[in-house]
Amino acid sequence: MSDQEERISETTRLGLEIVKEAEEDRLMTLSVGPQHPGSGHFRFTVKVDGDYIVDCDPDPGYVHRGEEKMCEYRNFIQNIPHLERPVIHDSSNITYSYSLAVEELVKIDVPRRAQFIRAIASELNRQIYTLYWLAIYGIFLGHSTMFMWPTGDRELIIDLMEALTGARVTHAYNIPGGVRNDIPYGFKDRCLRQVTNFEKRLKEYEDIFYNNPLLRQRTEGVAILTKEDAIKLGVTGSVLRASGIPYDIRKAEPYDIYDEIDFNVQYLKTCDSFARAYVPLLDMRESCHIIRQLLDKMPESGEVRAKLQPNPKGPPGEAYRRVESGRGALGYYIVSDGTPKPYRVKISVGSFRNLLALPHLLVGSKLGDMPSVYWSLNYWPVEADR
Amino acid sequence: MIKDLVNPTNFNLMVSKVGDVLVRALDKPLGYAINWGRVWSLWPVHLETACCSVEFGAASGPRYDVERFGIIEAFGSLRQCDLIVVQGTVTRKMAPRLRMVYDQMPEPKYVIAMGACAITGGLYIDSYNVLPGVDGIIPVDVYVPGCPPRPETLIQGTMLLQEKIKRSKIK
Repeated sequence: MSDQEERISETTRLGLEIVKEAEEDRLMTLSVGPQHPGSGHFRFTVKVDGDYIVDCDPDPGYVHRGEEKMCEYRNFIQNIPHLERPVIHDSSNITYSYSLAVEELVKIDVPRRAQFIRAIASELNRQIYTLYWLAIYGIFLGHSTMFMWPTGDRELIIDLMEALTGARVTHAYNIPGGVRNDIPYGFKDRCLRQVTNFEKRLKEYEDIFYNNPLLRQRTEGVAILTKEDAIKLGVTGSVLRASGIPYDIRKAEPYDIYDEIDFNVQYLKTCDSFARAYVPLLDMRESCHIIRQLLDKMPESGEVRAKLQPNPKGPPGEAYRRVESGRGALGYYIVSDGTPKPYRVKISVGSFRNLLALPHLLVGSKLGDMPSVYWSLNYWPVEADR
Repeated sequence: MIKDLVNPTNFNLMVSKVGDVLVRALDKPLGYAINWGRVWSLWPVHLETACCSVEFGAASGPRYDVERFGIIEAFGSLRQCDLIVVQGTVTRKMAPRLRMVYDQMPEPKYVIAMGACAITGGLYIDSYNVLPGVDGIIPVDVYVPGCPPRPETLIQGTMLLQEKIKRSKIK
């Protein structure tokens, strides 16, 4: 009797093992990137059970170039060109917060006209960044028209920035103490015309892309990031605003001229993938309003650059300033020991925080939703790796 | 005697010699046609290594449109590709992947090093995690300077590569 019992229990154990192995075999591990149509310089592995993702493991760091360490062997002015390389299509914003932090360390005031020009450059760059993001989002969803239209419209704003700064994407325009040079002749009219045309274009984007039933089906109600989760994960920028929280650094802790500008923080309460894709478009529209006000209120003449010693240095101390970039809060924490070179620079970027939400959103959603969920997080790998 | 001569080594030698003769015979009439096909259908691998990818994206946009020069913006498998554009800085983590992608591509394959970082390390030459140029790991055909290169520069680089292909002998 006992032999029989043992035999039965052994058979059950063997059977259970076979079932377990079969269950493990059912899960398939897929590696996405770095050679991948969209993700580019980023890799993540997903485990799928049939059509559903059960596990996600992001692997950033393919473009880690040691920016923070490199800052330590260059002086404050020499640091500007390489600090804008992480997001070359949003370079005015990434040097904006650096300039603000250095100004706080060196203790200089920025002329009023320079503050306006900086804000205009920053808003134009936000549009350039968001258009590129939108173009890649179109590719992710197999919508080729949405790659061509924003890429073409982006060139017009790039022309404007080229007239202002002299470079296509890497401007090095914001420097500690103001901006590098004054606006060119006829810039104001050209900028106004561009903003008016661009607002008309945004309506067409809505018609062809955002009101497209295919996009709606693929993104509405997909990968919901609730208000509580968004706060817990610490996401910023458009992802946070798509979860129903009206938080914008320009409004929460206004820098330079932004406390004199009248604008609304754009946010949606639906918390899904569609909201995260739609908030950047609303941001671009609000950005057009801001540029119009800035051009209206800008003083006609004046200094654009405060007098600064050739190799600026301040007393020992630390500074932390942040701005609202295309991807969210972008802050620089600089420690100075009294020499012309910084002792330590820490860059806090929005992309890396938004990446933390990726495993949270992907687990439980379908494999087909992966591209739209991934790119809706407004994530730029080069910036996150620094 | 004949049995000793018929072995795999000699067979391979004979096949390669016959191949050489065939290639020499076909080079003149067919070489032009084959190179013409290769020149106007360069398929780049979609491997972005750093920030120059933004300008590569702009080059395939409507204003610069590299497709009119026969560079197809491919979103397919790398087994069908014959061009790899190294778009910027190559870090220590990316270098083995770049080499792996290059090894997996079928012959003939061409390499364009785009940007100062891919040529010498550029701005990041003194960084601890960046390779000083990509030519240490894969052979480069055309160097396109700039940080980042303008789309016109990239297009000129690809046209130089096409010139090179036109003049090369078929393999």
